[in-house]
Amino acid sequence: MAVPILKQGDVLIASIQSALSDQDLVQLRDDFADQVGRFRSRGIIIDVTALDVLDSFATRTLQSIAYIAKLRGASTVVVGIQPDVAFAMVQLGLSLEGVATALDLEEGLAHTAAIAKQGRHRVR
Amino acid sequence: MTDPNQQSASQSSMQEMGINDASIERRKKIVGFETADLARIAAIKDLVTQHADDYTATFFNHLSGLDEARPLLASRAILERARQLKKEHLVAMVQGDYGRKYVEQRLELGSLYARAGLDPRVFLGAFHQLLQHIGVAVMEQSEKNPLEGFENFMSLKKVAFFDIGIIVDILVFERERVIRQQQEAIRELSTPVLQIRDRLLLLPIIGVIDTLRARFITESLLRSIRANRAKVVVMDVTGVATIDSKVANHLLQTVTAARLMGAFVIVTGLSSEVAQSLVALGIELTKLNTVGDLQGGLEEADRILGYRVTATDASGVPTPGAA
Repeated sequence: MAVPILKQGDVLIASIQSALSDQDLVQLRDDFADQVGRFRSRGIIIDVTALDVLDSFATRTLQSIAYIAKLRGASTVVVGIQPDVAFAMVQLGLSLEGVATALDLEEGLAHTAAIAKQGRHRVR
Repeated sequence: MTDPNQQSASQSSMQEMGINDASIERRKKIVGFETADLARIAAIKDLVTQHADDYTATFFNHLSGLDEARPLLASRAILERARQLKKEHLVAMVQGDYGRKYVEQRLELGSLYARAGLDPRVFLGAFHQLLQHIGVAVMEQSEKNPLEGFENFMSLKKVAFFDIGIIVDILVFERERVIRQQQEAIRELSTPVLQIRDRLLLLPIIGVIDTLRARFITESLLRSIRANRAKVVVMDVTGVATIDSKVANHLLQTVTAARLMGAFVIVTGLSSEVAQSLVALGIELTKLNTVGDLQGGLEEADRILGYRVTATDASGVPTPGAA
């Protein structure tokens, strides 16, 4: 099942609703890489609230989405990691290093807005 | 006659202890109980059944001579119940049916002993006295054929050892139950997660951290982050006397897990000894955000969350010059 990417202002939002195959994850990565440039987005939010497992491939793909987005000028936030998922991830040694995280979508939007604001200050 | 609550209690302890039909058969095998024993026990069935009252009295008379048995004898209600169960026990011992029902009765009596605080050694002494009396009577009955009498008695003794096995297990199990409950209580008490301000949690860690406790701390912290929508967590380790590589790893895991949920963790209270030993061990702690003491950590947390603490006079007016 492909994940739809929603555009909200200068932020792209993808909410993952079910466990994804590796192919779906790669598709999501490619879609983000494409759209981030097309819409000149400043931020990406990936919502994983509905997921009860994040394996090493998913973690690595999320990380590469974040790096790709950064190279194209957008910041990435992963939101909604469940307590059990977080605990399982650290047990497996997966720490999503270099990727910002937030409690839920609301927090993620606030985080992205804060970073965008800093960016504008820098230009001025 | 049998209290339904009691019955279900011994059934549940039977389950907790993992006693089932297969393990009962195994226990019989362990004491060497065979089909031939059933016939021998049947030969002394009447003798024991008729004198069950006497033997019960022997058991309790012996106990009444021992200071150690006082807790059991002190309460009249418990004593009466124990007497009744003991007599049922003696009768059941020679009935030839040692299945689930029989074990349940043993467990009921055993948990009664456990509640009364009777030590296994005291119970064993009295039980041996009782067996001795039965032994004498059995030998008297088959005076003409002492070998047969001895064999009959030894068959009964197998049942007795089968019983002892169960009783000792339940006494140990009950004692361990208390320990388990206390461990649970200590664990609950020792990992409070406190909300200091809106979106700011304090996690004071005190004492020794082992793998189990680290897991418990992490889980309760993650739950609290979700429940309180926390953004910053101050983890204070002033109460942790020593940190080795294992504990440091646990703390790092907790911090990483909290970060995955979008919370920023500040570690405070690393004493100079702890800091030195961590550096000496070469543990990579660059991923930790550390502040010297709890006060500093809370100030840092306030700064991140955008709070400003202002000193005021009694009427609430900001004191001039205060930060």
